[in-house]
Amino acid sequence: MDAMTIIESLTGKFPEAISEAEVESPIRIRAYADKEKAKEVCQYLKDSLQFDHLCSVCGVDYPQRNEQEVVYHIASYDHPVVLMLKARLPRDSPEIESIVPVYWNANWYERETYELFGIFFKNHPNLKALVLPEDMLGEWPLRKDYEGFPNRTARNLV
Amino acid sequence: MEEMLEPNEMIVHLGPQHPMQPGPFRLNLRLKGETVMDAEVELGFIHKGIEKILENKTYLQGITIVDRICYLVALTNEECFVGCTEKLLGIEPPERAQYIRVILEELSRLQSHLLGMGEFGEFIGFVSMFMYTIKEREDILTLIDMVTGARVTHSYLKFGGVRDDLPEGFKEKALPVLNNLKKVISDYEEMFNSDRIYRERTVGVGVLTADVAKNLGVSGPPLRATGVPFDIRKNEPYLVYKDLDFKVCTETAGDCFARVQVRLNEMRESIYILEQCLDQIPNGPLFPEGTPYGRRTPVMRVPAGEVFHRVEDPRGEMGMYMISDGSDKPYRVKVRGPYYPTLQALPPLIKGTTVADVAAISGSMDGCTSEADR
Repeated sequence: MDAMTIIESLTGKFPEAISEAEVESPIRIRAYADKEKAKEVCQYLKDSLQFDHLCSVCGVDYPQRNEQEVVYHIASYDHPVVLMLKARLPRDSPEIESIVPVYWNANWYERETYELFGIFFKNHPNLKALVLPEDMLGEWPLRKDYEGFPNRTARNLV
Repeated sequence: MEEMLEPNEMIVHLGPQHPMQPGPFRLNLRLKGETVMDAEVELGFIHKGIEKILENKTYLQGITIVDRICYLVALTNEECFVGCTEKLLGIEPPERAQYIRVILEELSRLQSHLLGMGEFGEFIGFVSMFMYTIKEREDILTLIDMVTGARVTHSYLKFGGVRDDLPEGFKEKALPVLNNLKKVISDYEEMFNSDRIYRERTVGVGVLTADVAKNLGVSGPPLRATGVPFDIRKNEPYLVYKDLDFKVCTETAGDCFARVQVRLNEMRESIYILEQCLDQIPNGPLFPEGTPYGRRTPVMRVPAGEVFHRVEDPRGEMGMYMISDGSDKPYRVKVRGPYYPTLQALPPLIKGTTVADVAAISGSMDGCTSEADR
């Protein structure tokens, strides 16, 4: 399955939800998905376009645009194309449907994205802190305006 | 997990420091007798915030930081980070530099697999295995040291090439080491096949099927041990891998024995790749000519854009997603390590097994918690 066919199939199936779809190279494509439809798009990618390998889920913070993006990198064990699927979220209430029911291994990626960016994944089976201590939840360290954790640094604890 | 406890059940915390675990993470097991009823992984004991640090360092400084993601595969991490930057810059290393990178990355794979096998032996009580493999690993590290000047964290790759050429007489020093290793790998194989206790502790233990492994997002030797020939070096060739002859090693059983067997065979393929590289390596420059890139890297601004680049790490698929805003520091780097999904797959895999098998299953994944935690 080649990159052009995938893009055509995706935009044909979701004409409203998919935007800015483009082929970067024969093995890389990218597209924006409507945040309400992201899970449905993922389900279609997995069931119909052989995108059965979720590489990663991550967040990107754009304070100047007052936006955050969730970026899914979805690949396949059968064809060489990797899709970079992105969804735009408002920065003051970033929320998106969890894709754990579609890709099992999205679980930890979403937990990590939540605790580092504050992006809330609705209907996630267990959205608790993974890599940071629980009392740091709410600090969102990977947001661009994060300025450290001054109140509980080692110096202040002594 | 405590709330689900029945009267005849108990919880055992393995870790964060435990001799059967590769790195600090805590495995909470809910046991009924010797059977594992449920398991949960706790991470975060060595979280280093690498992704945040990379946003505050220049691209060149970033190379030394990605080394620290997992010291066993520092060179593959560098390849991924430098590869991302090169794609954004639109440059490609000349052929000699690509060959040198392949040589070092395959040596790195050999030493990582050797240590992985040795640790696995130790986890299941086969301690002498660790002594054998660590001895051979030293020879490989010495070869890497000859080229990069460091044994663990190398900072050797640079944008568009490599920092230094191979030293005089490298081939003459490398070939005897590789020939010896070939013989030693056969010895290991014979040892594994003839040892009844080893076989009983690994054959049929921790079986992953291809469908389950794919669903769990597993890659690398644990996936190839289920019969799926997924290898980035073949599926998405980078450097000069497309010109080299090697095969993707697979097994079908999907158990602990198969995972170790895949690594043994991969070491044979790595040696074959190294022999080809040492024979074929052309003369030529180490950096693309007519560009400012060279040993003395200029203060570098990278054109705005985004890229996802992946390479085959000894543990599987290592990918990085890099966004540049046109400044001298990356705007965002997401590190997608291979052990992260494999570690996530551990609880469903050990559920239903006995507590003694937990060490065998966990060890056969050849983990690096440092990489999962970043």
